[in-house]
Amino acid sequence: MAELTKKSIGGFLAKQGILVAFLVFMVVFAIANPRFIDIDNISGVIRSSAILGVMALGVTFVVIGGNLDLSVGSMMSFSTIVVLDLHDKIGPALAIPGMFAMTLCLGAFIGFLVGYLKLNSLIVTLGMLSAIHGLTLTYSGGQNMDIADKQNTWFDFFGQGSMLGIPVPILIFALLAAGLSLVLSKTPFGRKVYAVGGNGTAATFSGIPRARVVFMTYILSSFCVATAGLIQASRSLGSQNTVGQGLELEVLAAVILGGASLLGGSGTVFKTVIGVLILGFIQNGLLLMGLAFYAQYVVTWVIIILAVWLDIAAKRGRLWSPIA
Amino acid sequence: MKMTYKVALACTTALIGSSAYAGGHGTFTIGITQNNVGVDSYQTTYEQAFIAAAEANDSVEVVVLDAGGDVARQIAQMEDLIQQEVDAIIVWPTNGEAVIPAVRKAHQADIPVIVTNSNIAEQGFEFVSSFSGPDNVTQGSRSAEIMCDRFKALGIENEAKVVHITGQPGYTTAIERAQGFNDRLPEVCPNVEQIDQQPGDWNREKSQQVMEAFLVKYDDIDGVYSGDDNMGVGALNAALAANRAEGITFVGATNFAVGYEAMADGTYWGSIYQSPVDDAEAALKTALDVLKGEEVPFLNYFDTPKITQENMDEFTKPVF
Repeated sequence: MAELTKKSIGGFLAKQGILVAFLVFMVVFAIANPRFIDIDNISGVIRSSAILGVMALGVTFVVIGGNLDLSVGSMMSFSTIVVLDLHDKIGPALAIPGMFAMTLCLGAFIGFLVGYLKLNSLIVTLGMLSAIHGLTLTYSGGQNMDIADKQNTWFDFFGQGSMLGIPVPILIFALLAAGLSLVLSKTPFGRKVYAVGGNGTAATFSGIPRARVVFMTYILSSFCVATAGLIQASRSLGSQNTVGQGLELEVLAAVILGGASLLGGSGTVFKTVIGVLILGFIQNGLLLMGLAFYAQYVVTWVIIILAVWLDIAAKRGRLWSPIA
Repeated sequence: MKMTYKVALACTTALIGSSAYAGGHGTFTIGITQNNVGVDSYQTTYEQAFIAAAEANDSVEVVVLDAGGDVARQIAQMEDLIQQEVDAIIVWPTNGEAVIPAVRKAHQADIPVIVTNSNIAEQGFEFVSSFSGPDNVTQGSRSAEIMCDRFKALGIENEAKVVHITGQPGYTTAIERAQGFNDRLPEVCPNVEQIDQQPGDWNREKSQQVMEAFLVKYDDIDGVYSGDDNMGVGALNAALAANRAEGITFVGATNFAVGYEAMADGTYWGSIYQSPVDDAEAALKTALDVLKGEEVPFLNYFDTPKITQENMDEFTKPVF
């Protein structure tokens, strides 16, 4: 009986090590500053994390499919700047679909290069990181983009509004996470993504259209980026050209922290969400503890590495690697 | 035509990282290597104003380059300008330390170097003819004065609590403004307490997150000082969302259009008016004065006055 319990606890730890690590950090921060678990604070952190989170959902698909997407940060800047500009030119009702269409085109282009031309995704998306940044600057002429009339627009709904007492960014994040989780785990497309990422050659021989699957993961990623850009634009109703700069690495950190393998073939949407929340709450927790910012940089990464270690240790059932 | 030029300029700036432009028919050739045009509106407007000022002046021809934020590229551009034997070089340092060897090289080639906007580190001063730009320490102390005056008007100068959001850590402008504010505030308002200081990295979104955390952490905040208005507006947005903006005095620096609008709305109190056009024109004028052999002070500051809700009518809305 005791053995069974131990086994089941071990099994749970192995499967949900990152969740346990997350709960441990939450408890430590809450003891350090009780305001950390204030409902306003929690909702504030999730709301700020929603932008990163929505982007991470799409990148999860790309990473499970065995590729990388380093272009999401500058693509998010692009979406934000475009939707703000179009808002004043053609109105929000047309600006939003217009921005989505333009962002999806970028995603389709990357998907074509990586999927159909089989180019290395690291090189392609690294190149697109700079190219899209240039595109954004060209589009805006380097100027900040602001909505002229901030009072009389319903556009602030996506970033600042709330429904049923829940901030809209959180709702969008939750709905998208739930939807994409279903797609990944319950649909043929989801299984194909795992298959292509796990063993591309085997997938091809099984008759899975590898190029199309990879193409679709990038389309999905750009859709998520466009959604993130929408939230970002709506949240501040104005933006710098560099708003998404550096986010690509945070997104990747969240996805990997959640346990997706950089080599493809493993990971889940739920774990990515936990990865995103860990990043968001660490930053907020350290701020509330009043740590000097230079210490925060260090501590953040110590905690992330600690979390990854806990996760791996739980999976193999011991702290050290059995292989020397 | 104008659009094509603009697009072409932005393309080269962004993709290749350097744009070249030559205009005018003059006696002096001045080369400029800028920090990172296009990364924000200030630098974009600066470049446009610089080119316009050069075009308006018949006695000067300019070579306009941009380092794209990359210090290695800036050093290479300095070397190119030395090779081209320009008469003077204006540099907007990407990094106040790393650019010094290149500045020394120009100095050794007898080309006067004028530093613009943000100064280089002190050990490089001997190779520089003049620094033209805003006095960031003064800006910081003026912001402290604006804040203190407002507290006195509200009658809370003996109990007010202030939080401080700084620019990018390690960036000279950020360090100097923070220093000016932190030194001046206790002099003018000795009983005001600064309860926290965190970086917002010149980023509105980051600054909004920092302010959200401050609002959770402290029940009582009377003033927020931000290293520029972009961050200040981020902090303001956080306070507005939490319904706590009323009763908080927001003071910034480098008055941006968004800050100006927020002042017109009555939610943002004051800032420092710093025009990129003045900045660019001052740099060109300083370079020309040096070349004409006129007496130029080593620290050639242009004035950056206080702007608050009370006197904002005297200023035009910033274009950036």
